[in-house]
Amino acid sequence: MTTELGIAVVNGVFRGSVYALVALGIVLIYRASGVFNFAQAEFGTTGLFAAYIGIELWQWPYWLGLLFGLAAAVAMGLATERLVINPLRNSSRVTLLVGTAGVALAAIGIQFWQSNEQPIRSMPKLVEGVAFQPFGAAITYQHLITFVVLIVVALALAVFFRSPSGLAIQAAQQEGTAAELVGISVRRVSMMTWGIAALLGGLAGVLSGPNLTFTAGFLTFGAGAALLPGFMAAVLGGMKSMPGALFGGLLVGVIEQFGNLSILSDVSGGGAMMLFLFLLVVLLLRPQGLFVRKAVAA
Amino acid sequence: MALLEVSDLVVGYDAFPVLHGINFTVEEGELCVLLGLNGAGKTTTVSSVAGLVKTRSGSVVFDGKDLGRRSPSARVAGGISLSPEGRRVFPRLSVKQNLRLGAWTRRRQSKAVQRQLDLVYDYFPRLGEREGQLAGTLSGGEQQMLAVGRALMSRPKLLLIDEASLGLSPTVARTVWEVTSRIKQDGTTVLMVEQNAGALPFADRALIMEKGTLVYTGVGDELRAVNLREAYLGA
Repeated sequence: MTTELGIAVVNGVFRGSVYALVALGIVLIYRASGVFNFAQAEFGTTGLFAAYIGIELWQWPYWLGLLFGLAAAVAMGLATERLVINPLRNSSRVTLLVGTAGVALAAIGIQFWQSNEQPIRSMPKLVEGVAFQPFGAAITYQHLITFVVLIVVALALAVFFRSPSGLAIQAAQQEGTAAELVGISVRRVSMMTWGIAALLGGLAGVLSGPNLTFTAGFLTFGAGAALLPGFMAAVLGGMKSMPGALFGGLLVGVIEQFGNLSILSDVSGGGAMMLFLFLLVVLLLRPQGLFVRKAVAA
Repeated sequence: MALLEVSDLVVGYDAFPVLHGINFTVEEGELCVLLGLNGAGKTTTVSSVAGLVKTRSGSVVFDGKDLGRRSPSARVAGGISLSPEGRRVFPRLSVKQNLRLGAWTRRRQSKAVQRQLDLVYDYFPRLGEREGQLAGTLSGGEQQMLAVGRALMSRPKLLLIDEASLGLSPTVARTVWEVTSRIKQDGTTVLMVEQNAGALPFADRALIMEKGTLVYTGVGDELRAVNLREAYLGA
């Protein structure tokens, strides 16, 4: 039993790293544009498909393919901001929400259309092989790299938000008019935020894709579905907290693995059941989220 | 030549003009107060000067240049800074971060920004004492000081202050006006919007607005003589 729990925790942390990357992007966008971004996971699938095309179809070196994938994700994020978010900036949040869902559906449509002849794809891992086996849980290098990237990205974001550009983003989120009045271009800030969020989504895509075979909509509802767990992670973290999104993502990964324990082997969909149960309990007991510092009166 | 020259400024929709063609100037080095009741168009006037509001016709000439449709950001860089109505400090950033963001257009001149920060702390020692505190946790008066301090950080030639006294106790309001008067003496031209006639003694000149038009312009002493409170402010 202990071993089994250990395996669940270890596996959960690594699966959760992908959720945390998605959740960080969701929180970033939510703070900037006040909307839950349905397209967040599709930044990832788009990046994954672009990396696949570079590496598998065009035979590029792996690193170049990864860069191409991330660039495609960022381009999609910037295009979303320019073509959907900015034109709708004075609309209601529901309209914006539907707008991001439209972006996700359009991206998934394009992926289906492009992968019509061979719907199921796979690509090699960054580094093949198993790094170590705590409790007998095989941790691949790909898992390890994903976790390390998550930590590095989280630290980089923390540093960035204390830099002048990061402060400008926060200022624009907190008081748009006043930010405009001190000379911050709210439009540039919005572009920057969507670009960074899309980069986070792209990382989730190119790092999780090689673990499994993938299809169109991989990160939204496919084998690597991370949109719903990422959203749960963001909610657990209170929707506005970056550290909350990080720990929420890891926690969601672990809770999901608890659903695969042998005592639940008769229950199909144990992982999802555990997740929703956990989310329900948390929202009942601490609706403000788990990792929220004391509220500040604005 | 006047530092700010507003001519025939019209703002608003056809059926509901907010400003119907107002004209006034602000001379370099003076502290001007724009007085009027709620809805007189004072905030719209300073917002148009800062570039936040689209004007329908008329011109705003600052430092000899017609500002046309320039963005707020270009106007800050050009020397106009507004401390907005309702303070609008960045609540979840510290006092110091708020002030540093005020110098956004000059952020690469770190020495000059530091000097300006010291100057703002000299005007408002309370801000210096609380520089690490989140702006949202400050009292109303301190937030007002922060809003004025933040506007000063860009080293404006013309400082616009919109209703600094709103919601403040008479003592705190007087402190803010006294500092404003010091800022003027140190060489920054100031145009402040007020509903509270208590600001008059601090002003070199007063403009009085009523329902979107300018109804009176005069020096502070004259205004006190005509018993302004009764005539225009109904207090």
